[in-house]
This record gives sequence, structure tokens and C-alpha cells, in this order.
Amino acid sequence: MIEETDISDEKLLNAYKNLIMERVMDKKMLNASRQGFLPFYIPLMGHEAMHIGLGLALRKQDFIYPYYRDFGVLLQMGIPIDTIMSQVFATANDNALGRAMPDHFSLKKYNIGAVITTVAGHLMSATGIAYARKYREIDGGVLTTFGDGATSTPDFHVAMNFAGVYNLPLVFFCENNGFAISVPTYPNESGQTDAYEETKGMIYKKAEAYGFSGIRVDGTNFIEVYKNTRKALENSNNTPILIEAMSYRMGPHSTADDPNKYRKNDVTEGSEKDPVIVSQRLLKEMNILDDNKIKEIEDETEDSSSKLINKYEKAAKPDKNTILDNLYEEEPWYITEERGDLQ
Amino acid sequence: MVYYRRKGRFAVTSMTMVKALNSALDNAMERDDSIILLGEDVGVDGGVFRVTDNLIKKYGSARVMDTPLSELGIVGFGIGMSMAGLRAIPEIQFQDFIYTAMDQIISQMAKLRYRTNGDYTLPMVLRTPYAGGVHGGPYHSQSGEEYFATTQGLTVVTPSNPYDAKGLLLSSLNLNDPVIFLEPKRLYYAGKMDVPDDYYTVDLRKAKLLNEGDDISIITYGPAVPLVMNTVKKNNINADVIDLRTINPFDIDAILKSVQKTTRVLIVTESPKMFGVSAEISATLAEKAIDYLSAPILRVAGLDIPIPFALEDYYVPNEKRIMNAVNKIMQYR
Ligand SMILES: Cc1ncc(C[n+]2csc(CCOP(=O)(O)OP(=O)(O)O)c2C)c(N)n1
Ligand SMILES: [Mg+2]
Repeated sequence: MIEETDISDEKLLNAYKNLIMERVMDKKMLNASRQGFLPFYIPLMGHEAMHIGLGLALRKQDFIYPYYRDFGVLLQMGIPIDTIMSQVFATANDNALGRAMPDHFSLKKYNIGAVITTVAGHLMSATGIAYARKYREIDGGVLTTFGDGATSTPDFHVAMNFAGVYNLPLVFFCENNGFAISVPTYPNESGQTDAYEETKGMIYKKAEAYGFSGIRVDGTNFIEVYKNTRKALENSNNTPILIEAMSYRMGPHSTADDPNKYRKNDVTEGSEKDPVIVSQRLLKEMNILDDNKIKEIEDETEDSSSKLINKYEKAAKPDKNTILDNLYEEEPWYITEERGDLQ
Repeated sequence: MVYYRRKGRFAVTSMTMVKALNSALDNAMERDDSIILLGEDVGVDGGVFRVTDNLIKKYGSARVMDTPLSELGIVGFGIGMSMAGLRAIPEIQFQDFIYTAMDQIISQMAKLRYRTNGDYTLPMVLRTPYAGGVHGGPYHSQSGEEYFATTQGLTVVTPSNPYDAKGLLLSSLNLNDPVIFLEPKRLYYAGKMDVPDDYYTVDLRKAKLLNEGDDISIITYGPAVPLVMNTVKKNNINADVIDLRTINPFDIDAILKSVQKTTRVLIVTESPKMFGVSAEISATLAEKAIDYLSAPILRVAGLDIPIPFALEDYYVPNEKRIMNAVNKIMQYR
């Protein structure tokens, strides 16, 4: 949530630290799920540069309606880590009392929409939010994220259509990781998507049919993501836009998934297209980072993330009596009766 | 079709249900600039049943929005507006076309407050004409209240006369939760009654005792109410007639009070019987009032088929079916 358009070296370095934090935390959270501390988990590896770029691009006055794979966006936005971790581990401190799956944040006071599991189920909500803000002449834009798979849903097309018809201050940001679980966005002959080559379908081009422009950015380069998204947000008063960020889901879809069944892992950790490696290369070129600093940040992050995970693995769960709260503002008689079933 | 009059310090006008709903929307929009109407043909055209007639002239196209033809879009757009502090009133032109928006209704609208523990609330009223009466066949005559009533988090409201229509709609607009407001289209122009021109409310979650009697409790709502009342009057049935007005959560106290007195129950709905609202009321009575009952609970409902075009009248409940059921219940020893 930075105010100015040009990023200082310090902010870039801080962004890099957040990117490493996301990478390290991701591994630890995946591990926590394997050990039974998390019943379900949605890995992030490969998405970090998009998340950090988005977090950098969002200004205080902007609104984001994320999807379920956006942990790092909140890190970079500066949302308190306790708020984030309490949600992921569904603890008693969670804003939503552990009612939603990990990474399903809902933080109205930070201008963050309520993440929904239904793929693309939030896109019309983001569209309506953009209309409300335009109607109330609120400064800033609305940004919503979603995967490549989401672009096959009716919700996506309807939302794009409404955004075009009403010329809404809305940035559609597609985190194209090449796959909807096991199904490639646009399969090539061997059934794979190579996210780094022109595929036969191009998501960003769909915008043209709805009366606004679409662009494609390198989703492994957080500075490119930041620059294009910030520009889009600044220009959102004039037009909606669709940004397609090309990336690669380096891990499994979820903890219930074995990707070896359906694809070869061509972007592995430490390889050229790994967002961590791309970021290191960029910041080294800018003389912001060197090998010593890289090692130092790694060690620091390893240490702080271990402490965090330990803390939240052990954190208390919400009280069972809360589960019947807040269905309606005024509790119906049958809910009151069902309180007896909890005793 | 005038069940009761209300005169006094308010100016009243004799209105159809359509006019009463229009008056409610007008009153509400005048008081609160966060209210936005949206839907197909609701603006310039004033809605296909004219419920939103002339409102665009008074409030402009930013508040009375002719939307693209997408029910998913209309409902989703309204949800987003209400998440951001407005109070959306989406109209679905016919209940029959709501199904492409069912995901939005079930997954987002109904669950938002609960799954965020109140971080987000959804003050919105989704209006739609429902049930038969215009010979619209399978795609202009469906009831469907059960789909909404069975979804946790929704409040389902349906009026049976112009006075209630206005007062219930204005009450719904005071809730901080989503309301499915089902308007019985057969009653839209079925008759006029005196309705205050000014703002007033009718309590939600409160049934209305339309007729008092000792022999039997007839529980009904919405499109079936006039039929039940006419049947009761014509045949001199000594019945309590309960108009639920809110289907979920229904007024259990009013029902129990009546059933304890009469000990005999008939439930009349225009929607089909199997798995219907009547089933829920019957089951609840079986749980809470079995000791009072002196006869089986019977139901008169729409037939368990899609609503047919030419022979719609055979599908919906009628006087004969109601009388057969009443006689069966009364003769049971
Ligand atoms: C409407 C809907 N259908 C199916 C699912 C199950 N599901 C969860 S994620 C997913 C794939 C989504 O792919 P994409 O939109 O590309 O996002 P990604 O997970 O790759 O980030 C599917 C099929 C769902 N959550 N919602
Ligand atoms: Mg994907």
C-alpha cells in the first residue's frame, strides 16, 4: 500500500523480503497440512511475483476482491500478520471464527472482499462494488483476481460485459498458471500448456469484445506486474481493463492433488522461470541485492516463519458455541433451539 | 379482496398490489439514496408488470438501472453494491428465470454474513413475481419458494394483498440481511384496497390471522390466500386462517397458538406438495404439537408436475380440493 508511483530501493528490497516470506511460509504451511495441522491447504509456489506486484500496486483507496490463492498480496499490503495467520489456521482470533478454508480472507476494513471458494463466484460482486464506488464518487479503483480456469465460467463473461457496459473502475487480473487443477487452459498436442509461449487462445484478448483493452504481463516479474497494475488502477476511472499475468503453478493445485499424474514439472524451484530467481536477477541488476544479502534474508525468514508457524499451529480454535452465531442479524427460533444440540 | 381497512391520519389510496409495491419503492427511494433498483426493463419500460413504473423519471438511470439480460449478472451486481454500502433491489422478471442466478443466491448472497461472521452483511431485497395466474406455462408460472426457504441465511417473504405488499417490502428494506421477496403475480391486479400513500411497515416474521375460528387451522400464504379466504367464507368454515407472510423463518408461535386451539390442521400452498413448505410445517407440528392434534395434518398443494400451459387450473389448488380436505379432517375421529 504505497502512495507514490516510483518505488524506492528500500521498498523494492522490502518487497523481495515479502516474496521470500511467501515462498518459505508456503512450504511450511504445506508441511503443516501434511502433519495434520491444516485440514486443507492451497499452495502458492509460482504465484509470488504476481502477489507481491499486486500488493505494491494497490493504494489505500483501492479495493481488492481476491480469490483463494492470494496470500502474498495481503503480506505485501501490510495486513497484520496475526490477522493473516489466524485466518489460515482458523484460530479463535480469526475475524471469521474459522468458518472459511485457508486463504479465504474477508477484511472489510482493509478494503478486501470476502474470498469465495466457488470459482469466479466473486467477479460480479467486484463489479457491483465498482459500481457502488463510482455511484458514491469514491476515489480509487477495484481490482479482482482469478485463475485462468475462471475465464471459462459464465460469471467471468457476465462481469466483463457489465464492466464494459457501465464503464466501471475495475481491473480484472487473471493469474494464469496454465492449469485449472489438471486441465490446461489451452491444451497443446501433448496435453500441456506452456504458459510462456503464445497459446492458441489468449485470455487478454477477450477484453476487446467487451469494449475495453486487455494486456499480457510477465507474472514472474513483480516489477512488471506492479507497474502495469498500478497504471491500470490509476486509469480505472476511465476504463476497465483485463490483465493476464503469465505464470506457472509450481506446486500441486491443493493438498488433495498429485500433479505428476497430468503434467511434467518444467518449472522447478531454482530454475530460470522461478519468480524467486527472476526477482533476484532483477534486483541484482539494480544493485539492490547481492548473494550475501540473499543468504541473510533467507536465514532471517526461515527463523521468523518457523516461529510463526509454531505459534499458529498451537493456537486455540474458536469456541464451539460460536458456530450458530451470525446467520442473520436476528436469530430465528430454530437456531436458538439448535443451540441445545451443541451441549 | 379487502380484508381490512386502515384509515385515519394517513392519506390512503385504493391501490392494486402493483401500485402498492410501486408506492413502497417510491417512498423508500425518496428517503434513502443508497437504494438502487436494477433488472431487465425496470427503467424506461417500468417493468413488465409495471411495478417500477415512472421511477426512472424521478430517480434517474443511475438508481433505476436497465441491465443487460443476465440474471446471474443482475443478482451478482446487486450483491456487490450491497457489499459496498448500497441497498440493492434487483428484480428478476419472472421467478422462472432466476436459476442462472441461483449460484449467486446460494453461494454468495445467503452465506456472506455467516462465512465472514458479519464482516460483510448484505442489505438487499431480491424481488420477483412468482406462481401462476397468467397462464404462462412451465416458464412463467413456477413457484419455487422452497429453493430459497431451504437455503440457510435467506429470509423469504411473500405478501397476499396490497397493504401487506407495501408494508412488507418496506420492512424488508430495513433488514441488514438479504430478502427474497416473492410477489404472487396472480394477485398483482386481482383487486384494490386502501393503502396509505406514506411510509409504513408490516412486521416480518409475523403471521397474520385473517379469519378466526375454532374448528380448524388453515395455514397458507401468498398466491393461495384469496382462494382459501373465499372458500372459508363461502362454505362457512369455522377456521383460523393464518397467512404466514414470512415463509422462512415462519411464525411458529402463531401456528402453535392456533393449533392448540383447533387441534386440526390444513396447509394450502400453490407450490407442489412433495418436499414443500407444507412438509416443513407439518414436520414441525409433529415435533411440537402432536399431543394436541386430533386428526392427520393434510395438505392441498400444486400437483407434483411442472405447471402446464393450457390446463393450469387443474394444477393449482381449488375450492373443491380444499373442501374435500377440510371435510376429511373434520370427520376424522
Ligand atoms: C465453480 C467451481 N467449480 C469447480 C470448483 C473446484 N475447483 C477448485 S479450484 C479449480 C480450478 C481453478 O483453476 P483456476 O481458475 O485456473 O485457478 P487456480 O486454482 O489455477 O489458481 C476447480 C475446478 C470450484 N471451486 N468452483
Ligand atoms: Mg489456473
